[in-house]
Amino acid sequence: MAFPDLVPSSRSFDPGDYPIKTFKAQNGSEVRILYGSNRTNMKLSLNYVNITDANAELFLDHYEETKGTFSTFELPEGNTGPKGGWGGNKDAIGANLSGNAYRYEGPPQVQQVRPGISSVTVNLIGVL
Amino acid sequence: MAKVYTGRDGRLLIGGTEQLKVTNWSLTGALEVLETTTLGEYQRSYVPGVQEFSGSASLLYYNNGSGRNDAATALKNILKTGSVADTDTVSLQLRLVEGNTNHDISLTAYITDVTYSASVGEVSSAQISFRATGALTGVTI
Repeated sequence: MAFPDLVPSSRSFDPGDYPIKTFKAQNGSEVRILYGSNRTNMKLSLNYVNITDANAELFLDHYEETKGTFSTFELPEGNTGPKGGWGGNKDAIGANLSGNAYRYEGPPQVQQVRPGISSVTVNLIGVL
Repeated sequence: MAKVYTGRDGRLLIGGTEQLKVTNWSLTGALEVLETTTLGEYQRSYVPGVQEFSGSASLLYYNNGSGRNDAATALKNILKTGSVADTDTVSLQLRLVEGNTNHDISLTAYITDVTYSASVGEVSSAQISFRATGALTGVTI
């Protein structure tokens, strides 16, 4: 089962960073060592507001299929999926451009707002 | 026949009893809507949420000579020494009369606010506000 192909109500993206170690001397000078060639640790937060319970369940089912935060997965690239509404290149807010894949950072948060209607927040993190 | 309704046609019933000396009543119905707009859409969209019904009424503080004072009875829903229980609901009918036909909105409500005043040069009255619990029990308007 793929990640639910639904357009979120809001989305935030943190592009992460390269693995860098920074050393600072007492005189203030800084030395940085680059430990890898791939940017990682990108974070994608998706909010789905007032969706049907059936659609909210898709996230719970997918979370179960990925064994919670264990397995990585790809996001749908289409305009009807989690990257829908993004006018730039879809890979810019993805993980695989830098050799990463998304996994759940934590369990999906489901809040039921009335019978049959729920809001879901999903937090994903890109890992190498 | 054409008909314009006025205050002369208005009635308020509490517990099935037509109240004495009612000077006004009002009812507001509202529907909460939940936004379902998603990224990439240009128009907002909604699904229906929960409904709410509330209103108010004013009754003259009037004793009919037989000891009946509907304003006092309504006030006692809150103005009492004990606490308000879950079962302290009132059955309201807001009515407009047209000949032998009654146009009613019926609901079960809690009295949520009461105001009771006396002023020099004015008739004493009681204002009550109510909020429906559950769905309307009847609509024949």
